[in-house]
Amino acid sequence: MSEKRYAIVLDTRRCIDCKACTVACKAENSVPLGRNNYRNWVDEEALRGQYPNLGQSFTPSQCQHCGNPPCAHVCPTHATEVNPDGIVHVVDKKCIGCKYCQTACPYNARYYNEELGAVDKCTFCAHRVYEGRLPACVETCPTKVRVFGDINDPNSEVSRLLAKYPSRVLKPAQGTKPHLFYLI
Amino acid sequence: MPAILKHRPSSRLWFSLLGIGMIVGAIGVINVLLKGHGHVYNVSREIPWGILISTYVFLVVSSTGLCLISSLGHVFGIEKFEFFGKRAILLAILTLLCGFGTIAMELNHPLRMALYAVISPNFTSAIWWMGTLYGLYLLLLCGEFFFLMKGMHKGAFTMGMLGFIAAVSAHSNLGAVFGLLEARPYWYGPFLPLYFILSALVSGGAIISLLVYFHHKESGALMPQRYEEFMDTLGRLQALFLMILIFFVIWKIIPGLYGHPPEKFEATMAVLSGPLAFNFWFFEVLIGMLIPVTLLLNRRTRTPLGVMYAGLLSTFGIFFMRYDLVVAGQLVSMREGAADLVGGLLHYAPSLTEVAIVVGAISLCLFLYTMAEHLLPLGGEEH
Repeated sequence: MSEKRYAIVLDTRRCIDCKACTVACKAENSVPLGRNNYRNWVDEEALRGQYPNLGQSFTPSQCQHCGNPPCAHVCPTHATEVNPDGIVHVVDKKCIGCKYCQTACPYNARYYNEELGAVDKCTFCAHRVYEGRLPACVETCPTKVRVFGDINDPNSEVSRLLAKYPSRVLKPAQGTKPHLFYLI
Repeated sequence: MPAILKHRPSSRLWFSLLGIGMIVGAIGVINVLLKGHGHVYNVSREIPWGILISTYVFLVVSSTGLCLISSLGHVFGIEKFEFFGKRAILLAILTLLCGFGTIAMELNHPLRMALYAVISPNFTSAIWWMGTLYGLYLLLLCGEFFFLMKGMHKGAFTMGMLGFIAAVSAHSNLGAVFGLLEARPYWYGPFLPLYFILSALVSGGAIISLLVYFHHKESGALMPQRYEEFMDTLGRLQALFLMILIFFVIWKIIPGLYGHPPEKFEATMAVLSGPLAFNFWFFEVLIGMLIPVTLLLNRRTRTPLGVMYAGLLSTFGIFFMRYDLVVAGQLVSMREGAADLVGGLLHYAPSLTEVAIVVGAISLCLFLYTMAEHLLPLGGEEH
């Protein structure tokens, strides 16, 4: 069997903007307080239509765990590593704090964590995943917006969703090959 | 140090100003060391590079420029450009060191860099190449300075030649640090590496005009004919560099406007009519380019004094060019629906601590140069 390749499939029509995912992430990963410090977020899209026919969508997101990650290319000291399963993460002790990765990431997925003394980002909760558990944001979501799994396994829920529905990725023209798939 | 103790009012004022600048800088450094970057700098998650990065760029552009212009003398053999070689190379070393100091205050872990850049180098990183090439460049500059001081022309030529190559490589690489970021349309592309080389020539020419003028002023004598002729030649050359720079600036703007390319357009408009507009039109265009080029093209104002003023104004303008370039590239949010936008753009203004460190770095550079001028046998007018 081929290597695992982790990904998240999102159905944004289910998102109610409750931000439970952001709270769960902060608690799980000890993300410090402060406006700059977060690993995942919910973007509010512009209001559609005119009263009383209104609509609004929300786009939860995080590090896209790109197949071609610009953050890893630019890091002068290889502090950003990519695991064989596709998880992009930072080796804290190698991070010099130049923030080049922050300027290179087209998704603004990174921030400098003063407590860790390194740039920090979503790791798909690798510490949980390697124990067979789900990432905190996936587990906590009340409407099951996010589905996490191995896209190299054709029977995984992520593979079945991607087979059944068309999907898009964010900023495909950047050539980053994101592994967060948004169902259309 | 008898020369320093001449008690000339201008010299006392100069040292007082630099002293205050260095104290301000030291307070800034202590503040960041005690409280931490996140608490005293205004850089953010979205705009991680601020005035310390742009000042680093300003200082190393100055260093490169000094090296390139002085190489016209002892590498390319234009005799008129030989007599200030030692001073130019010395100042190139000092601006580079103060630039390194500034970026060290911006990096969260400069010591980790020293270790992991060596044991865990990433050859696809433009910052790794920039650091390595600038390190090499520093060594070559020191070698060149040594040979110049010893009067060993052959060694100085070899070091100068290698230094020239290192300067161009390192400096275009600095442009590539920005130019290779596909995520930042305002920076992305081959423009910046090329532009950095040209603007280094402008910076170098401007600073050398200050160097030669004030060195002469310091000696208190009438300006010799040679100096006057040199200032006239430098003025003409500087006018040419500035006019090419104006074309570069125009061609930076046009592709940013034409067809409203996403993100590049918003960043260009931030420079032309947004939060950076005053910096751009007043400091960059008027002070940095138009007034100097007018002074330099007009035969009546292309006197040593006029060339010096043009150099001073250009140097001010170039400081803002670096700042605007660094900030403009980050003003457009990477995410739709991001919070805290002002007029559709992200916001950055340097904190007092950031400004203090900038003032300190520039004061330190000028102080070290002035001291070296007094302490080292840099010689008179002859090479």
